[in-house]
Amino acid sequence: MIDLVLAFDLILMTTLISLAWLLLASRDLFRAVVLFIAFGLLLALAWTRLGAVDVALAEAAIGAGITGTLLLVGLGKLGSAERCRRTPRPTTFLQRLTPAVLIGIIIPSVTIILLLELRQLQIVSSGQQGLVLSLLDISGTDHPVTAVLLNFRAWDTLLEKGVLLLALVSIWSLDQARPLFHQEAPSPVLKGLSQLYLPILVIVSGALLWQGGYAPGGAFQAGALLSAGILLAILGGRSLLPAWYGMPLRLLAGCGLLIFILIAAATLLAGNLPLQYPQELAGALILLIEIVATVSIAVILAAAVAGGHPAEISATEQQQPPSSEGTS
Amino acid sequence: MTGLYLALALILLLTICVGMVRVLRGPTATDRMLAAQLFGTTAVAILLLLGQATENTAIWDVALIFALLTAIAAATFVRRRDIDKTTETEDQNDRH
Repeated sequence: MIDLVLAFDLILMTTLISLAWLLLASRDLFRAVVLFIAFGLLLALAWTRLGAVDVALAEAAIGAGITGTLLLVGLGKLGSAERCRRTPRPTTFLQRLTPAVLIGIIIPSVTIILLLELRQLQIVSSGQQGLVLSLLDISGTDHPVTAVLLNFRAWDTLLEKGVLLLALVSIWSLDQARPLFHQEAPSPVLKGLSQLYLPILVIVSGALLWQGGYAPGGAFQAGALLSAGILLAILGGRSLLPAWYGMPLRLLAGCGLLIFILIAAATLLAGNLPLQYPQELAGALILLIEIVATVSIAVILAAAVAGGHPAEISATEQQQPPSSEGTS
Repeated sequence: MTGLYLALALILLLTICVGMVRVLRGPTATDRMLAAQLFGTTAVAILLLLGQATENTAIWDVALIFALLTAIAAATFVRRRDIDKTTETEDQNDRH
């Protein structure tokens, strides 16, 4: 049985490394995008094999829901000439090797090095686990990962929300968002798909959010799932009401960071350290942060796919996340 | 039973490796995209088997997310049919 597990892990790792090489070396950008989608799938498998189901959930939601769409939309914005990279002049000795040599020598050796490293990881992997588990009672949640992310190391999560918001600000500073798809009406199949899927995605996203309290799940996974729902609504031909372009959209995108800062300020005023929750309120505060962060993450990710700042209020042909999904 | 689940997961992983040929060879963009879609379905099956083998039901949630979301990249692809057309013509030019 151990042999089977080892064979599975070995093949998974070899395929991952070969895929990474192939997608970086691919001259056809569409092929690179499809390889990246496959890479995301296998990476989620690898995370589950490593026992990090939380990370696998996030990778699945981001990799399958967002990056594929994001890259395909980005690819559509390039001209057909830019879609094929020209063969670069070889600059390192690696690029002079033929694919057969690479696959035959380098990929197995990288795999073996990684395997040896992983073996060592297992020996010293106890880390802070005992400490976290012993403090779980006072954290306000029953899942160690959520306890670390939203209580013990909440400061990191606050900064992570800041990074997401900064990424969106950078995207908005580059260009104005243009309609993602042709003006022609989407096919009835797509409309039906989005009508069928949207409620399911919203429900599963809510379930993942709630599940974060006692099992793998949480705001980021739920937010990514919700933003996939928003993307699906855009694919189905819906768009954000122009009245939402201004303050409401910015508030929705910023509310995740905002609620964190407000709670940090409140705990500071109450005489504690920033984000040091009172023990009896910890569960409620974590849930509040998670709910607001889910909406905020969903809006930020979907707006990132739109690829630019929203048009002025007067413009009407803008395609943006629909308001109803962003707030539900 | 655990051994059987793992063996089946291993076989499914091998089918993904074989299917990678279609992504690499193409020839059309649709071939590549559909192969990736098939990987999504296979990954769902592998995750279900792994969840059963390790008795870690949280893995099933990952499978659920994949089952829900793999359709979205394909839907985007369908709405951007122009990518497919240009890639096809480029491929034909390559062959001449």
